[in-house]
Parts: sequence; structure tokens; C-alpha cells
Amino acid sequence: MLAAMRSWFAGHGYLEVPTPAIVASGALEPQLFTLEAGGGVLRTSPEFALKRAFASGLPRIYEIGPCFRGREHGTWHRQEFLMCEWYRAGAGLFDLMTDVESLIDHCRRALGESSPLAWTKIKVRQAFLSATGIDIATATASDLADTGEDWDTAFFRRWVEDVEPTFVAPTFLYDWPASQAALATVRTDGPMPIAERFEVFLNGYELANAFHEEGNTATIRSRWEDYNSQRAASGEPPHPIDETFLSAIGKMPRGSGIALGVDRLVAALCGWESIHRGWVGTPSV
Amino acid sequence: MYETSDIKNGLKVEVDGQPYIVTYFQFVKPGKGTAFTRTKLKGLLSGNTLDRTFRTGEKLAPADIEEHEMQYLYDEGDARVFMNTDTYDQINIENKVLGDDAQWLQDEMMVKVLFWRGSPINIDLPNFVELEIVYCEPGVKGNTAQGATKTAELAGGASVQVPLFVDQGETIKIDTRTGQYVERVR
Repeated sequence: MLAAMRSWFAGHGYLEVPTPAIVASGALEPQLFTLEAGGGVLRTSPEFALKRAFASGLPRIYEIGPCFRGREHGTWHRQEFLMCEWYRAGAGLFDLMTDVESLIDHCRRALGESSPLAWTKIKVRQAFLSATGIDIATATASDLADTGEDWDTAFFRRWVEDVEPTFVAPTFLYDWPASQAALATVRTDGPMPIAERFEVFLNGYELANAFHEEGNTATIRSRWEDYNSQRAASGEPPHPIDETFLSAIGKMPRGSGIALGVDRLVAALCGWESIHRGWVGTPSV
Repeated sequence: MYETSDIKNGLKVEVDGQPYIVTYFQFVKPGKGTAFTRTKLKGLLSGNTLDRTFRTGEKLAPADIEEHEMQYLYDEGDARVFMNTDTYDQINIENKVLGDDAQWLQDEMMVKVLFWRGSPINIDLPNFVELEIVYCEPGVKGNTAQGATKTAELAGGASVQVPLFVDQGETIKIDTRTGQYVERVR
């Protein structure tokens, strides 16, 4: 499978760039927890380093390597997993959807499956409306769930309970609420402010996440500070702001990037019931 | 209180003032959102299944459940009497609590009794019991026709469908989980 992925990237002009596993800081998003190692932390994704490579003038790059996230254990989660991340200059989100379809069909052919998958592309607002009857453009937190939780938590509670289970077919979900932008650009010209990102669902679970990359350093710095204050509010230490990474943001070409869980892709294409079947690690670790 | 990381199959929790047992759980984490644990809970009083999702950080109340190995002593009309074989304490469990389980009880049978807030709410029977047929239509010798059955009344009051060749006075094995005939006991 890895050989098939690498041959697809080589065939589409992507350069493989290995980046360090031990880094200065974990991802911005307040839901991610790092594991300490060697005076730094183990990367939650290769994003910061790959974006520096992207900013240095390499228009198509990718990396396949281990990433680490604390406090994630389950059927589809393990603290150490294999991530495939790639960046493409000049690409919009729909270009990356085409990359995903082509890459997965290529992997399926390597496994002897010649028929391409049929994908659904749907906006998050529409998927939420179909599954729950609720329009997230106008809904308040208490319209989403009567749990007294903040808007995003109530959104994800309904997402996990009612929306996500409807993605039986291979699906791209795009145009997410702006509050869940992370490193994506935000658009405000529609009925609700949206983050220009998509998630890929295969076999009913999330396989990948893509951003149309935000290139404004001040915007990213202010989001990072905001996410750190959310961490502080829940009693968690901040993720130190990586200035070397921030200084590369403004030099990146316009483009899009995506991170795909390799263990999950293998499980989906092989019909496995969890990501642990092909794993040779020690169960206690 | 339990954390969401304590959730596992068999954990007994109190939800909306009722005791439940966890029968399924799955850790889920949206890409840019907080983590949750999806669960299926079975009501220890109602028997109903409930789908509940707990956010990481939410606390779950333990259900005040105790389990004791007890011996069935005798029938007191509205209730059955059981004894704790360690302490020799005796308790009455009303027939309405026992439901259909009462019909499989036999003298000196050991059962697991589940208590919620100190009151018995359920018993766990052996999977198989052997009971005598006190009445059924006479058997037809040599009749082994597949699927043909007749009703047999058993000691204890239950009625089950048995094959035609089984006779009154014989002892048969019953699966208490399904209430169905398994085989003749010689």
C-alpha cells in the first residue's frame, strides 16, 4: 500500500520530504494533546515543517510518516499512527478532492479492485440539515443540543450522534463553520462564515482533512493565541508559538494541503474493523 | 464518579435516575472538535436500550449496584424467599420483580441477585434448568416427525412446547434465556 501511494505521488510530480518527528510545538487546535520527547514534543502532524518546505519554493510536496497524539485510544485512534500529508501550490479544495479520488483508486487497483469509488460531495450545512432538520447558519447552541455546552461542542455532539452515522457512501464534506477553521482560510460572503476546508469520509469514518491554506501571518498568530487561551481555560498548558513556522506562513504560495490517516485508509480498503489489525506494536503502549 | 476513560462493557452507571449497564462503547473524535464516547446502555430495571454520547470531561455517576450469590428457599405466594449463603440473611423478592424468571426456580438453586440502592431488582439464573413434566398428552411411540410439538406443563408452573415423543413424568432440560426445550434428561 505504501509503495502504491508513493508511486501515485511520484507519478503526479510530488516530491517526498522527510521532516523531524521531534518538534518544538504541537498543532494549534485545542483538542490535540502532545507527547513529550527529547526536549520537545512528538509531532501531532508534519504540518509546520512541510509548510516551511512549501514556503521555500517546492510547489508539490508530501510526507508519509508516524505522528503522535496523546489521549486518543479507540477503534479508529491510536497514540502513534501513520500520516500522509501533501501540499499543492495553486490548488483549490476541489483540486485536492480530485487528488484524493485518484490516489484512492490507484491504491484500490494495487489491491486488485479496478472499479473507481463513487463519491458524494456535500456542504456541511446541507449534511447537517438533512440529518437533523437543523440549519446551522441560524441555530444557537441550545437549538443544537440542550446540554448547556458551547456552540462548537453542541455542534459536534449532534455531529457524532446524528450526522456522521449517515455517511455510509464515500463522502467529501466541505465548507465548515468558521470557528473550526484551524489553519484554513475563512469566507464570509455566504449565509454563514465558513472555513475553506473539507473532510473525507470512507466506510463511515473520517479519513482526511484538507485546508485551503491561510497565508496571513497575523491571522494565524491571532488564532494560535485564541486556541491557547481556550487551552488555558480548560486547565491545559499552551502549545508554544513556533515563530519559525509563523515566519514561513506569508511566504507560502496560495494553495491547499491535506493530511490523510494511512492506517485508516488501509483498514477501509482491506475491510478491517479497526486500525489495530495490521499493527505490530505492544498493546500496553 | 467515573471519567469517560473508565467506560467499558459491563460498567454500571446511573443516568436520569435509573441504573444502566454499558453494553457497547466507542471513542470518537471529530477532526476539529472535542472527543466523545458513544455508548449503548441497557436499563437494569426497564431492559430498554439507550444510546448516549458522553463528552470527554463529562462525569458519570456510578449506579449503586451490588451483586450477591443467593440460594432459592421457597415460594411465599406473592414473593419468593432467598438466602445469602454467607450471612444466612433471608430476603423476599416479589414475583412482579422476578417476572418470567420465577417459573424456572427450583429448591436450593443458586442464583445471582442484583441489588440497586439495597433493593433486589433482578436475578441471574443458571442458563439451563431441568424440570419434570407434570402434564402433557401421551407420547406417540416412534413419532419423530420434524417440528411437530405439543404443550407440556412443568413443575414450577411453566408451559413449554416439546416434541411429540416426550412423555408425562419425564424430566427435560430448558434454556432459561429463551424458555425453550433443549432435550430429554434420562
